[in-house]
Amino acid sequence: MSEQHIHPEPTSFWRKYVFSVDHKVIAQQFIWLGLSFLLIGGMMAMMIRWQLANPGQPFPVIGRFLLPATHGVVSPMMYTALFTNHGTIMIFFAVTPIMIGGFGNYCIPLGIGARDMVFPTLNMLSFWAMVVATVILVASFFVPMGGAAAGWTAYPTLSTQMGTPGGGQTLLVLSLFIAGSSSIMGAVNYITTVIRLRAPGMTYMKMPLTVWGLWLTAVLNALFVPVLASGLILLFFDRTFGTKFFITGAMIKGGGDPLLFQHLFWIFGHPEVYILIMPVWGVISDVLPFFARKPAYGYKVTVYALIAVCVLSAVVYGHHMYTTSMSPLLGESFMVLTMIISVPAMVLFLNWLRTIWRGSIRTTVPMLFALGVVFVFGLGGLTGLYLADIPQDLYLHDTYFVVGHFHLTMAAAVFLGSFCSIYFWFPKIWGRMFNERLGKLHFWCSIIPITLVFCGMLLIGYSGMQRRLYNLESYEYAKRLLPMNQFVSVMAFTLFLGQVFFVSNFVYSVFRGRKASENPWELGTLEWQISSPPPHHNFDVIPTVIHGPHEFNNPEVLKKLGKDWLGQAEVIPGAEAVHEPAEIAQAGE
Amino acid sequence: MASVVSLQPRAKEDFTSYLGMMITLGAWGVMFAGLFFIYAGVRLAAPTWPPPGVPKLPVLVPTLATLVLAASSVTAQRALTSIRTAKRDQMRTWLGATIFLGALFLGIQYTIWSSVHDGGLTMDSGTYGSVFFTLTYFHAVHVAAGVLALVVLLVRASRYTVHQHGAVRHCTMFWHFVGLVWLATFVTVFLI
Repeated sequence: MSEQHIHPEPTSFWRKYVFSVDHKVIAQQFIWLGLSFLLIGGMMAMMIRWQLANPGQPFPVIGRFLLPATHGVVSPMMYTALFTNHGTIMIFFAVTPIMIGGFGNYCIPLGIGARDMVFPTLNMLSFWAMVVATVILVASFFVPMGGAAAGWTAYPTLSTQMGTPGGGQTLLVLSLFIAGSSSIMGAVNYITTVIRLRAPGMTYMKMPLTVWGLWLTAVLNALFVPVLASGLILLFFDRTFGTKFFITGAMIKGGGDPLLFQHLFWIFGHPEVYILIMPVWGVISDVLPFFARKPAYGYKVTVYALIAVCVLSAVVYGHHMYTTSMSPLLGESFMVLTMIISVPAMVLFLNWLRTIWRGSIRTTVPMLFALGVVFVFGLGGLTGLYLADIPQDLYLHDTYFVVGHFHLTMAAAVFLGSFCSIYFWFPKIWGRMFNERLGKLHFWCSIIPITLVFCGMLLIGYSGMQRRLYNLESYEYAKRLLPMNQFVSVMAFTLFLGQVFFVSNFVYSVFRGRKASENPWELGTLEWQISSPPPHHNFDVIPTVIHGPHEFNNPEVLKKLGKDWLGQAEVIPGAEAVHEPAEIAQAGE
Repeated sequence: MASVVSLQPRAKEDFTSYLGMMITLGAWGVMFAGLFFIYAGVRLAAPTWPPPGVPKLPVLVPTLATLVLAASSVTAQRALTSIRTAKRDQMRTWLGATIFLGALFLGIQYTIWSSVHDGGLTMDSGTYGSVFFTLTYFHAVHVAAGVLALVVLLVRASRYTVHQHGAVRHCTMFWHFVGLVWLATFVTVFLI
């Protein structure tokens, strides 16, 4: 194990808060960035929902400032740009920075007992690359022919110069390329850090499941974001240098095939959805045991299930392309594999349920959000099976059923999971406690609307409403779905407004909350054994790990120490050396 | 015996950055794999390959380029082993040789591009041109970046010692990577 020296704290303002190489500072930078774009992406969603519920009506209050040309009405072109950028922003600039950039950076070194990541400067570059990407994205909104408007999936031929002329789409492609490089830099850091900097005694099977989730996320990032990068390069070349990769040969002599982009995109795109959910899976797999005061049921099985999902995620991407008239054999192979990948996910889910079963539940705010994640993910995951099935998917493809499905599994689960993480680590990161009552209010004002919004979408989609429609009144079959859409929109506005409880709680508590103790949740993982917030170098002495992360209600500990939890590096008084030195030395490799 | 014990702690630090570099190159390789995937897709879908009307690509000059790049990998590795055995001046010589061969490769690439251009093949002349120029330009950009990195190494050569030469090792690893990508490009674009 490499020696981890204690470096002196930086003193200048720039080194401390702007170009910091401290993983804890970089994590906070990512979280603030991600929350800002969560707000922007959410605003876009509100404008989409407004247009669907009240076709042709100007957006209230701020509409005429945002859309002066149309006096506040969302035009068809603007609508297309809105859903494109809503998706892109939420995935790449909200969820990724918060969970992977933010909590990945914060939790990995602390969880494994390290002083920082192995490549701190690379870490800083990863954040600033993300900032550059966001600047380019925002710039794309202001170019002459408008921003990107080809869906977040950016399929050619629509995303080529023929379909979406001008600089906006090109800038989006460039922005995503840079954001992808930020993710890859982060992935290299996370993977190497977990392999090399685990504290002595911290075997892989003693790591908190949060670290497992984040580490496997990084593996997927390193493997699959480069595939997106290659697709984006080719799209960029098609748009800028006149290459013909995705311009069909039917239109131009010697042309290529737009479908090839879909292959590259979804080879990335399917693992991407697991990249987005896996940090949350990891956090929930820890938070549920923490607040049920029981070890995680089936820790090892959970780890193997996470690994199985990673491996399988590479070979199911075709289920996004069932309607591209691929050979039935190929389609059926993808179908079978997609159904198989639901099995490890189900295993995770059942392990969660079995963990809280007959536990001593502490209904703290993080626990409520964790239970919320279990609920929405269960619903969303089940609807995935409908979509995995080809005959069903031929009908449901590109309907609101798909939108409901992926929002439940990806947006709702990650949305709630992000707040679970924020509330959970709030005392540690900011050294203060948040307001419990506002937190619970925030939870209920989120879980109820979010479930109703996306379950409503499942119904709408099953009734046949297509995705990305501008005006329901234009279509005979969709007109009757207007009342349901209005209900969904009202729930969406409620959800958006309910976040005010979070914003007020968060902003107030960061600056004026009650000071937190080092271990307000009474937990055994390493980050809770040091002060809140931790010192610059994290641990005065790198701990030697003896126990797993979920040592709860151990009878011997209850008797000798009078508490229902045990620190991972805590020695039970009077216990003989349970682990031979050789095991610790070898485990630390 | 004492020298073996004192090397141990340093060897572990070396492995960390080596691991990081390997993962980075792995990710980079996957990106190039994506480009080759598209090449395969485009080529398999085309009724004939090369498509009618495109100029024939040269084989002799690219083979020369391959040999030049292969030689440069040898010289780069020699530079690394030099610093590992504390021979900094020798490292400088081998680095210089690698830079020269890298620049020579880029020069040869330029002549290939010129001759192909004169033959009528451009970036926007269909999928054949798209594939050829995208792969070779993209690879050449990486060669240029590698040459730049090697120049920086050469300029900063005095700071590298037996115990601290991570940058030299990483640049050499990158250089080998660039050579391997060229091999794949050469075989799939020029030969088969």
